[in-house]
Amino acid sequence: MGQNYLDNGWISILITLAMVFMVLLNIMRAHNVKDLFIRRIAGLNAIDEAVGRATEMGRPVLMVPGLTDTTVNAKTMQAINIFAYVSRVAARFANPILVCCYNASTYTIAQEIIRDVYQQEGLIDRYDVDSVRFISDRQFAFAAGVAGLILREKAAATFFMGEFYAESLILAETANSVGAIQVASSTEMTQTPFFIAACDYVLIGDEFYAASAFLTRHPVLVGSLIGQDWCKLAIAGLIAIGVAANSFQLAGGSHNTTSKAWNEGKFDTLPKPKPFGAGDTTLSRWLNPDPAKDIKIERPQLPPDQIPSGGGN
Amino acid sequence: MIDIAAQLVPKTMWNAPNNSTELWTRIVLALLVGIALFVGLLNAPIQLRKPIIFTVTFVSGLFYVLFWLYPAPINRQPSDGPRNTFEALSFWISDSQGVIADLTNIIASFLIGLGIYSLMRVHIGKIKKQQRDWEFSVVLVSSMVLMVIFGYVDFYMRLQPGNSKMAGSGYVGWTFWQFGKDLLFNGLLQNMDAGMFSIVAFYILSAAYRAFRARSIEATILLLTALVVMLSLMGLVEFYWAQGVDAMHLSNNFKLDNIARWLRGNFQTPAIRGIDFGVGIGLLAMGLRLWLNLDKTGSDA
Repeated sequence: MGQNYLDNGWISILITLAMVFMVLLNIMRAHNVKDLFIRRIAGLNAIDEAVGRATEMGRPVLMVPGLTDTTVNAKTMQAINIFAYVSRVAARFANPILVCCYNASTYTIAQEIIRDVYQQEGLIDRYDVDSVRFISDRQFAFAAGVAGLILREKAAATFFMGEFYAESLILAETANSVGAIQVASSTEMTQTPFFIAACDYVLIGDEFYAASAFLTRHPVLVGSLIGQDWCKLAIAGLIAIGVAANSFQLAGGSHNTTSKAWNEGKFDTLPKPKPFGAGDTTLSRWLNPDPAKDIKIERPQLPPDQIPSGGGN
Repeated sequence: MIDIAAQLVPKTMWNAPNNSTELWTRIVLALLVGIALFVGLLNAPIQLRKPIIFTVTFVSGLFYVLFWLYPAPINRQPSDGPRNTFEALSFWISDSQGVIADLTNIIASFLIGLGIYSLMRVHIGKIKKQQRDWEFSVVLVSSMVLMVIFGYVDFYMRLQPGNSKMAGSGYVGWTFWQFGKDLLFNGLLQNMDAGMFSIVAFYILSAAYRAFRARSIEATILLLTALVVMLSLMGLVEFYWAQGVDAMHLSNNFKLDNIARWLRGNFQTPAIRGIDFGVGIGLLAMGLRLWLNLDKTGSDA
């Protein structure tokens, strides 16, 4: 549950809204600006090469849109968006594809999107209903299922994108053992090193989210990407300001001790002065919401028949 | 009347007193509205599909935007009423979150049926046509059927009055069904899961062997850094390395664990923070595009 931003911590919400504004502003701007530059992303350049190689070898392209525990989230959607592009290339080359889904929601959405891609390409006859599969929603049963598919079908190219956990290395090493060209990306920082060690190309961090803009050059996506860059610059600037402001305040001679403490949205006088610490700086107070647990608020009381008497949770 | 149908803490517009007519009326109404929506969506014209999806996405997203951004009620007690309209909205958002989350779970549970259908389609087809490795499909289908049967019978039996002792430790009161379910779940599935997980250890070795080769300057830096961090975690090496180092001397900085800590604190952590910022902002932008229906990727691209 969010904190009460009106009491404290409002600056975090202000920064979030500023970032939302920057992204939306650039999406609007991008419609009027042509030829915006996006730097080369090696992993995405390799998609055509990987699918082409699979076609030459007559072996399928295998894709995994991550293992999200919830129904479907933005990370899964982004992975499926990239796979839509991969499937489009594969459809043109008449190359078989396999999309392995960890949960049923992902399976339904992936199936819809991939079928639409084949339809738009006018190649619906090449679409195999079984190319998008639900494998299992148990982590290692899924890993075993996908590893088995990679070994049996001898996938020539594999794409692992989205949320991955301990199974990442099982998938990547199995694909490596059959000589598949691998492009991977994990939004989990703990798994990215495993992919870097085992895969041919890895999209690191926000390259995963830049992929759609890079592949399609759609103004909305390119604008959004520029907005993201503005946000990153703004955050870098804020970090610099924060370092300077905190250093200045902590080094200031008059602030070596403090006799007041920030508590429940106001200053309390301390029984005796204490050293001025990093938690006492103005920025620290702004950025750390006070949950105000002990505030008692007088509210009108509900009539007795409206007050719960038990049961339920 | 079962308790789960009346979640009374706190009393909100989403629940009603246990076993009351109001509660039953609400359940029947919700069912009718659900059926009407289901039929309506099935028969909606194709050109209305996108507006419907957009509206549902926007309203659902708006709810969660409000849930996270609108000031939450502070120290609310079950008997508290809202002080004003501003707080009434805050109470409503707070009360509704559980219901909205349940709705998501209900919709997701419908989709499990589709997932099972996909699985069965592929594997029963394979068995019928006796395609390559069809024997594995037989194992999958029979395992699934057995697990469902044993799981449900066990679940049903444990719910019966007098069978609560089954939930305790040991095998008191267990029948064929409990032993069967235990064998399938704890005896086979859990162990196979653990078996798959243990394979990771061997794959780490083979992946590290390929990655830690000094093929370029970057790979060499990676190799040396990894070597220092790994050695710092080996007690014996760390012990002999630190022999004779005076804690007050400059050389104390060159103890293996201090070098490793310095590497983690000054290179690894800032790099991860930087990447995390990028990922977070990317997720924010992606969420915004989905929420406002600006995303023209996937099949629309």
